[in-house]
Amino acid sequence: MKTNLTYSSVYTELEKLVEQIEDNKIQLDTLAGKVKQAKELIKFCENKLRTIETEVDEAIKDKSEN
Amino acid sequence: MKPIKLSELVDQISDAIGNRFTGKTFWITSEITDVKKKESVRRCYLKFIEKENSYINTEIRSVFWSNYYSEIENFEKITGQKFSDGLKITCNVRVRFHPRYGLNLDVIQIDLAYALGKLELEKQQTLERLVKENTTIIHLIDGQYITQNNSSELPIVFQKIALITASNSDGQRDFKQEIENNQHNYIFSIKEFLTQIQGDNASKLILQQLKLIEKDKENFDAVVIIRGGGSQIDFKPFDDYDLSKYVAAFPIPILTGIGHDRNTSIVDLMARQLKTPTKVATLIIDYNMSFESEIEDLKERFFQGVEDIIETSKNNLESIKRIIKSSSPATILKKGFAIITSNNKIITDPKNIKDNTQLKTILKNKIIHSTVTKKTEYENQFDI
Repeated sequence: MKTNLTYSSVYTELEKLVEQIEDNKIQLDTLAGKVKQAKELIKFCENKLRTIETEVDEAIKDKSEN
Repeated sequence: MKPIKLSELVDQISDAIGNRFTGKTFWITSEITDVKKKESVRRCYLKFIEKENSYINTEIRSVFWSNYYSEIENFEKITGQKFSDGLKITCNVRVRFHPRYGLNLDVIQIDLAYALGKLELEKQQTLERLVKENTTIIHLIDGQYITQNNSSELPIVFQKIALITASNSDGQRDFKQEIENNQHNYIFSIKEFLTQIQGDNASKLILQQLKLIEKDKENFDAVVIIRGGGSQIDFKPFDDYDLSKYVAAFPIPILTGIGHDRNTSIVDLMARQLKTPTKVATLIIDYNMSFESEIEDLKERFFQGVEDIIETSKNNLESIKRIIKSSSPATILKKGFAIITSNNKIITDPKNIKDNTQLKTILKNKIIHSTVTKKTEYENQFDI
């Protein structure tokens, strides 16, 4: 999974995937890949909403300590 | 001349004052100072003063007795302003003289309309000045204050929050409790910027906290200013010109839960006002939930699409199978047709078949071996 995902990039990508699938632009042989990609995007959102971002906390801590 | 006792003189003074003032009340407008509230006995001592070029030229002691103490409570509740030194009030007083404690004014009523009017006027003047002096960041459109801050785009999700509040306040507790115990198990990173939120210095202190947050702005989705619970007084810091201006231009969305339904402060107008700490927390949670349900919708549409694609492909495959089946040799032979071969090659064109050529006629379950004796022209009658 890419690490530079953001909520908005995920949303846009997911929207694009839905569009492709609804417009029948996805070939059967690439379908499995797309499903995997969509699942990852959805999981990213669901997890991120429920996981604390320790990197952020640490960054804040470092700055205020300096 | 025979001297008289002090009490006799004071009695005369008392009589003179009594004759002039007994049973009469007066409306005065004056600045108050040396305010000493004795909440336990519900009494308040203060002084009325009048100044000329900052020199006090008139001063008189005054008291709110317990049966009029509610006037002060009412004043604080309605105006959202602390009854304290430096205020200018209009009130109804009685003149009273006590042989030991001297001359006093007993306050029996505070004119709330005057107090509110004065506050409102000050607030209005601040608002007008804000609009006039900050034309690029504050606009008054149809009675709404549109500022850079409250018209800026909200992030897609609120997760990293800078919280400005007073430590150990009810507001802080309410907000954190609501946000930490949300039913969706959303997690938030809340960095607290604790400060005094009431009193003379509060506006400057809040401003300092905002500046700290601004230095770290990329690490926050929103700033939440919470003030709630406890006393319903002293909203003045939130009507301060400098603080309001800073809020209006602030680069991160500011949500206020300053906790007063009657009053809207200027800071509220410059930011996004949610009234109470709990309401701020609810908005944040609902906001994230609506993002998640949008994702949920996309998810449903996506998998519906996938299902449709698979279904269509299956159907296509089925019909291809049917076509193949119906044109397979086995099906054809079953229908009574035959395949003719020569030298193990299927004859599709009889051009090379001559007399005496060896042929095999393949039927459903037999092969007939034969030799050609005659070849004649024939008109195709089977073409449909």
